[in-house]
Amino acid sequence: MLKKLKSIPEQVIRLAVILVIIVVVFVIVRAELVPDDFGELGHYRKGAVDEIASLELKYAGQETCEMCHDDILETKSNGYHRSVNCEVCHGPSAKHSEAPDEFLPSAPRKRDFCPVCHEYLPSRPTGFPQIVSASHNPVKPCITCHEPHNPVPPETPHECSACHAEISRVKSISHHAYLECKTCHEVPEQHKLDPRGNAASKPATREFCGKCHAEENEDYPGVPQIDLAEHEPRYVCWQCHYPHMPEAK
Amino acid sequence: MEEIIQHLTPLLKEVSGYIFPNEIELHWGLLVVIYPYLTGLVAGAFILASLVKIFDVKELYPTYRIALLTALAFLIVAPLPLLAHLGHPERSYEIFLTPNKYSAMAMFGFVYAWYLMAVLLLEIWFDYRKDLIIWSRSETGIKKWILRTISLFSSDISEKAVKFDKKAIRIITLIGIPSAFILHGYVGFIFGSIKANPWWSSVLMPIVFLFSAIVSGIALILIVYMFVLPIRKKEINMLTLDKLASYLFYVMIIDFSLECLDFIHRVYESEESIKILGELVSGKLFVSLIVVQLIIGMLIPLAAIGILKIVKVPNDLKKQIYFLSAILVQVGIFSTRWNVVVGGQLFSKSFMGLTTYKMTLFGMEGLLLSILLLVLPLGIMYVLFKFLPPWEESRSN
Repeated sequence: MLKKLKSIPEQVIRLAVILVIIVVVFVIVRAELVPDDFGELGHYRKGAVDEIASLELKYAGQETCEMCHDDILETKSNGYHRSVNCEVCHGPSAKHSEAPDEFLPSAPRKRDFCPVCHEYLPSRPTGFPQIVSASHNPVKPCITCHEPHNPVPPETPHECSACHAEISRVKSISHHAYLECKTCHEVPEQHKLDPRGNAASKPATREFCGKCHAEENEDYPGVPQIDLAEHEPRYVCWQCHYPHMPEAK
Repeated sequence: MEEIIQHLTPLLKEVSGYIFPNEIELHWGLLVVIYPYLTGLVAGAFILASLVKIFDVKELYPTYRIALLTALAFLIVAPLPLLAHLGHPERSYEIFLTPNKYSAMAMFGFVYAWYLMAVLLLEIWFDYRKDLIIWSRSETGIKKWILRTISLFSSDISEKAVKFDKKAIRIITLIGIPSAFILHGYVGFIFGSIKANPWWSSVLMPIVFLFSAIVSGIALILIVYMFVLPIRKKEINMLTLDKLASYLFYVMIIDFSLECLDFIHRVYESEESIKILGELVSGKLFVSLIVVQLIIGMLIPLAAIGILKIVKVPNDLKKQIYFLSAILVQVGIFSTRWNVVVGGQLFSKSFMGLTTYKMTLFGMEGLLLSILLLVLPLGIMYVLFKFLPPWEESRSN
């Protein structure tokens, strides 16, 4: 055995010693530094869950607000902000719920707060109320016209663009710029007050577009016209042409 | 909020088309460009050293040790840009203690450690062991002890022991080549596996990375060789230089072909992203991709070295052309890394808009720190060359 050991080259022994030291140090350091409960639930410390759970609560939760402010809740539950929790605007209010007089939650009154959600952004969904704050009643704080707990516009919007801003902007630079929305959409009066409950109609057939764009129709000189029977008969028009900007590719 | 708006407003002026809000500012900046550049130099330099040993290329023997030490100097610095980018370097050891095998990024520590400890340091140790013992005998004081410590207090320089060293080097080299491929292929894999990004997501990415790494490594050794020898008042061996330039030329042809293949593949596939990528290449990346990477960093050096292969020119002119070509290759490869890392973040995932990269001068992500990280390996190389002279005449036999 000793003879066999002696036949191992000197280099190998020295490197083996280094390797053993590295492995031993690694094992000891790992045993010391890796918490015992690491990996029990996943790639993290099990104890971290309790630690995070024991952190101070800052939000009270809507249910807590409702206990005292049931009048506001009633107003809010019928309005467009019914799905917006109180603390979204009033900030974390756990302290207020524990000592109502001592800690008052914030109440945003300045004009720059509401545009965080309602400033016009192309990525916001169509129909979501958006304004360009620079031109929308400048200087006036939002709450002078809109009751934040039930924010209906002070007067019913006259134009579709009040809500469908993006479509309106796109259409305004397209060949359909001079067509009114109602040319193609039937809009119930109630749509302005309850848009989702009373949706506007959309054209459903090729013939609808054909009213202007079919070859046989001579009432619209200069309008691009096609033979409805021959022109891609298996498709409906809006599979290729975006109606609010039909010339786009 | 105010601060964020102030920071983003100047960037918004540079945005074109439509982009998502979290795409205005780039998350991976200059430091993440430097990281693949440095690892590429390491892998390239090591692969060159391995070729010398495996194919026994006599002309390149003078560059063998230079390549190994250069690889080591750059490897030591390679993780620093990541540490600076991620912040909290004091926590970095945790990726070793609690390895997460589901994260390619988290496995970096092991890929790095394997390459450093099992390949590079081991090969250097076996190659220098005999010399270290002999040098330490003629030294005194602290240098003697440093040399002895590096040799792990080894003392056997018998013929049998030296023969074993040579055998060990051969085995390590054989393991080292796939390891070097893994090290840099891994970096390419990180980018190539990001399926949400069409600029990165390509199975060719690790291979393109690898060959560009070999190109940059060989060019670096050529520069170091041509820079160091005149300083030491030694004659540059033209056979060595010609061989290095030849290798550089052939690997560049492979690299260029792979990049062309990648390009043709993308254009032929014409996925939905092709329009925005076309806009990117012809607009924001035109200078760094077409002018710097392709023309200055690839076609001009290829043509220059190619012409030297056909036309006979005086050695002095040849040296100048080789040196200049290698410098251009370095600029080109740095640009390649830039175009991958920064280019991949310049377009929106909506494929409808482009943003811009604003580099800072100071701070952990700034230009100054990046320059420091690029210069640091040269300082380490200087120290390594002092303690472990890689010159042929320093060898004990």
